Amino acid sequence: MVELLARRAGLDKALAEFPEDVAAAAEQASSSVARMKAPTDPRAEPWPPMRTGSGL
Amino acid sequence: MSDLHWMTATEAAQAIAARKLSPVELMKALLERIARLDPKLNVFIRFDGDAAMDAAKAAEAEVASGRLRGPLHGVPVGIKDIIDVAGLPTTCHSKILIDNVVAADAVCVSRLRGAGAIVLGKLSTHEFAIGGPSFDLPWPPARNPWNTDHHPGGSSSGSGSGIAAGLFPMALGSDTGGSVRNPASACGIVGLKPTYGLVSRRGVFPLSFTLDHVGPLTRTVTDNALMLETIAGHDPLDPGSATAPAGHYASGMERGVRGIRVGFVRHFHESDVPADREVTAALEHVARTLETLGGEVRDVRLPTLGEFGAVNRVILQSEAWAIHGPWLRERPGDYGQLARRRLMAGAFMSAGDYVQAARRRLQMIAAVEDALRDVDVLLCASAMDPPSRLDDPVETERTYPRQARTPFNVTGHPALAMMAGRSSGACHCRCNSSAATSAKRRCFRSRGRGSALPAPTGSIPR
Repeated sequence: MVELLARRAGLDKALAEFPEDVAAAAEQASSSVARMKAPTDPRAEPWPPMRTGSGL
Repeated sequence: MSDLHWMTATEAAQAIAARKLSPVELMKALLERIARLDPKLNVFIRFDGDAAMDAAKAAEAEVASGRLRGPLHGVPVGIKDIIDVAGLPTTCHSKILIDNVVAADAVCVSRLRGAGAIVLGKLSTHEFAIGGPSFDLPWPPARNPWNTDHHPGGSSSGSGSGIAAGLFPMALGSDTGGSVRNPASACGIVGLKPTYGLVSRRGVFPLSFTLDHVGPLTRTVTDNALMLETIAGHDPLDPGSATAPAGHYASGMERGVRGIRVGFVRHFHESDVPADREVTAALEHVARTLETLGGEVRDVRLPTLGEFGAVNRVILQSEAWAIHGPWLRERPGDYGQLARRRLMAGAFMSAGDYVQAARRRLQMIAAVEDALRDVDVLLCASAMDPPSRLDDPVETERTYPRQARTPFNVTGHPALAMMAGRSSGACHCRCNSSAATSAKRRCFRSRGRGSALPAPTGSIPR
């Protein structure tokens, strides 16, 4: 599965030269996504991507 | 005048303006110190003493003719090497960009020069501000001046180390997951991540568009406010720039903390990521000190550090992958191992993951703003552990994520880190950070009295 995703992302060279790093990167991603709680409210917005401060 | 290298930026600027200190004399003192200490500390990637001295001579001539460029006239500054300085390479401490000579100053550098500051050179960073202390890059990692066997925090590692060692009084850093505040914590100085959008990112190599902040590192809170006043302000060519003008952040600091309501986020270091015993004791000491000085301290709850960290990483690594994907496909061997691993993680996250993180981020912003309806500032740990040894990558990898800085990158609120005490085992220190909503002046006020905490002396190389 990791290899499939890596090839889809164009990481063939990294897979050949640094397979352990590719596996570690996949593990990092999986761990972060697993620890994130998605909002349960279907109306929860992703917009705006970031808000700037005001009145500073 | 003795010990010129320990002068604060404010002291130096005032003495120069009053013609009590020559910019050339100050520069000579710093150049001598840099020549003696930088070979042990690896603060600089690129240093041009002749150009800095020429600029100091020009500054002196201007003073003699009655012209002051601004509030930092003749004061030297170091620039993290992900920030553009015209005519110099912006390497990001990486082989990937080793020949990347840029034509123009970043907006923040241009504003510092406009205020009269003198650029000393480019400073060490973790590779692309994300790697870690690494020995597989074109330059060695910076070292902690309190104990050179240990790391100085990062990714603005040269900025923190150089200020703590008295090589310059102020520096620019960047902060995407805590990279200004980590070295401030580890080196016993003051580092501020301003509110998102307050300081232009134009001319700063991006790591994560919606998490990147540029911030000042200094030895005192007053210097930090002065430097922020200089670099803050709207930039119409930065799409993330706030429209608000720069404020007078030092004003009211003399009023201290009396009457300020402090929300202590204990669960960050007590249950989310249990801190080293000495860190916990230092934080309690800070809370008691704030109460003694007239602040009102109460407990506050926010989402957990684990969740803040996960949202930070999903957004950061997704956006960073968009930037680094082409190089990682073609030149993976030109990255150091730490950066390669962290930057490739974005390849394994989906568009859906990124959108969920963005949705959760807005809920987290709301949670922090809810908390700040009842208090003026938040107090929490910065690092949960003292800095590890540079020759112990396993311990470095274990302790680096044990921190409470990422929440305020996720939410964009300002956060300031400074030393809360020194650890007993080694010479390095660990610190706390605070964050405020739009009332940044209160953030500075709450920490201004912290200047009475231990000064950067003792084990610093003399």
